[in-house]
Amino acid sequence: MQNTGQENPTGKKPASSAGGRVKPEIPAEFKAELIEKLDQTALIRILAEHGSEPAAVFRKGIACKRLAVIGTKESVPSLAALLGDDRVSDYARDALELIPDPAADQALREALPKLKGLLLIGVINSIRRRRDSKALEPLGKLIYGEDAAVAGAAALALGEISGSAAAKILQGALGATAGAVRADVAGGALLCADRMMTENREGALALLDFLSRPDIPGNVRIRAMHLQVAAAASLKRPRTAPSPK
Amino acid sequence: MKAAGAVAAAPMIVPSAVLGQRAGAVAPSDKVVIAGIGIGGRGMASVNTVLRYQDTRFVAICDVKKQRREIIKKLIDERYQNSDCMMYAYQEELLARPDIDAVIIATPEFWHAPLSVQAAHAGKDVFCEKPCSMSIQESRALADAFRRTGRIYQAGTQRRNGPNFVWAIEAARTGKLGKLQTVHANVGTYIMWPPIPSKDWLPEEPEPPKEVLDWDRWLGPCPWRPYNSFYVTGGGGWNNWYDFHGGGILEWGSHTVDLCQWAADCDETHAVEYVPKGANGAPYSVHCTYSNGIKLVMRDGNNLGKRLPDDGWLGMGSCSVRFEGDEGWVETGDGGRIAVSDNLRGDAPARLSDSLVLHNHWRDFIECIKTRSQPRANADRACNSHITCHAAFIAFELGRRLTWDPAKEEFVNDAEANRMRSRALRKPWAV
Repeated sequence: MQNTGQENPTGKKPASSAGGRVKPEIPAEFKAELIEKLDQTALIRILAEHGSEPAAVFRKGIACKRLAVIGTKESVPSLAALLGDDRVSDYARDALELIPDPAADQALREALPKLKGLLLIGVINSIRRRRDSKALEPLGKLIYGEDAAVAGAAALALGEISGSAAAKILQGALGATAGAVRADVAGGALLCADRMMTENREGALALLDFLSRPDIPGNVRIRAMHLQVAAAASLKRPRTAPSPK
Repeated sequence: MKAAGAVAAAPMIVPSAVLGQRAGAVAPSDKVVIAGIGIGGRGMASVNTVLRYQDTRFVAICDVKKQRREIIKKLIDERYQNSDCMMYAYQEELLARPDIDAVIIATPEFWHAPLSVQAAHAGKDVFCEKPCSMSIQESRALADAFRRTGRIYQAGTQRRNGPNFVWAIEAARTGKLGKLQTVHANVGTYIMWPPIPSKDWLPEEPEPPKEVLDWDRWLGPCPWRPYNSFYVTGGGGWNNWYDFHGGGILEWGSHTVDLCQWAADCDETHAVEYVPKGANGAPYSVHCTYSNGIKLVMRDGNNLGKRLPDDGWLGMGSCSVRFEGDEGWVETGDGGRIAVSDNLRGDAPARLSDSLVLHNHWRDFIECIKTRSQPRANADRACNSHITCHAAFIAFELGRRLTWDPAKEEFVNDAEANRMRSRALRKPWAV
């Protein structure tokens, strides 16, 4: 998106056009403003509405976006009920990922055995975002399931959650999986070691050492060795601004 | 650069130039093999730049739009006088090719971070157009992924290699302005890109056949919504929709805030305080402060070309920046003109041509691919400048002053703001 001095010197191209086309009118049923002003109780009521047509998806989607910012544990059951809805589940996950209450973690964990395929991967990814350490055991089991994409997502989630227990599960899986799943498990283990570096440096270094073995997939093995070297050199990113010159 | 697994058919007779024996020729093993993902108008500028080089080879295009795939293939095949450019609808197939060293990602921005991370995990180096992320969390995940995988990342913030911008930054960093006090970043004009995009939807239209345009894959990490052809219109039909676009601050701030962070010696951090002014759909600004005391002013570009009474900012073309110290100031923008305070007139060129800025930026990337060093717009720098932009966006959307802790990467005592640091990605995408 380069912008040159000659391209738009006065900024007259309006936001309501693109490629010479004028933006179509927004239908009344697709306007977000009124829904965004509702309180949590009214938003929860929208989540319970029937219908799967676009207008219903829109109302629930905007309600979820708002609950992502203001929702409490009161809205968790209604959001969890949408995790099996293909079009709405991602909106519900957006809210569940951000509600700062253990009820959201529990709802996501309880959804794991109820879902399959993409819907299940979505929930796994949300658990990954929340780094829910109580989900280690069910995630570990999913690595050995029939769906390789689910297994890969579970391995990466374990890596993101990290910690000694996650590392142990991933190390075990490296000896019991093959092909694409094993590659994802190795990637998850590398992620796990990286995340552990600030919380459990010795554990992280031990995992990196394990990942430097000759039988580990090459890309992960090489990076594990690099990260070991970087850790030994105590490379640390400064986060404060230097004084002005 | 990788010998094994090359997909292109080997010629029956190998010309000397292919073996690197002719003066100036580059052997295939020394060429950086590049592919494109989502090449539209902006991506075409990068492709045309790459096609001029002897040490690169463009071999494949991936796009959810059949028409775009065919346009790029035609361009590439005409340039190389063969029919070797491969077309893919899905990035997984392209990223699985072991002969490809690097990818150009020029999709709409909501795809940028997930695709970049996916490419890094596939062992590819990445040149990605800006904005590079849709949230603070994506910004951090992007930088972490490239550090962890050891891949090279260059953000499409080519002004970091623009001679006029670099001159101004050097002036700020070497004390020519005295003690640096304020840096100004021109952000997207509210007329084109309001700071807060719309959460509304356009009316539903029938989806085109999947082989013509795969709407589900176009949406990618964004939550589902019905198809409307306006969204996929070239020239930015996806702009100004909340799920697809980061708003005006990110639109140009990804360039100009990025330059200001460099000038302020803040490439490794983010501003710590954010004070929004103005309203969506009107002139706006966000006044920020770094922990070293330097002020950062983001202001929309609606006043381009006009002298503003409040702060004397000239406005020198799009993406202009201004750096003020206690002994002088410098200002520049697209087009290459440089304006300075009276005391610097003897030192400063009136103009430095920016005609080669994209070439400079690409050569920086190509050389870093070869040497495995970090380019000017690397993932860490892009992450940090994008976090400053996202934090400003959140302050503007909430309409209140926010304080940011760069070490913890969280807002101080503001739970609502902290819940705006990330967005869920649609299944199965993740960063």
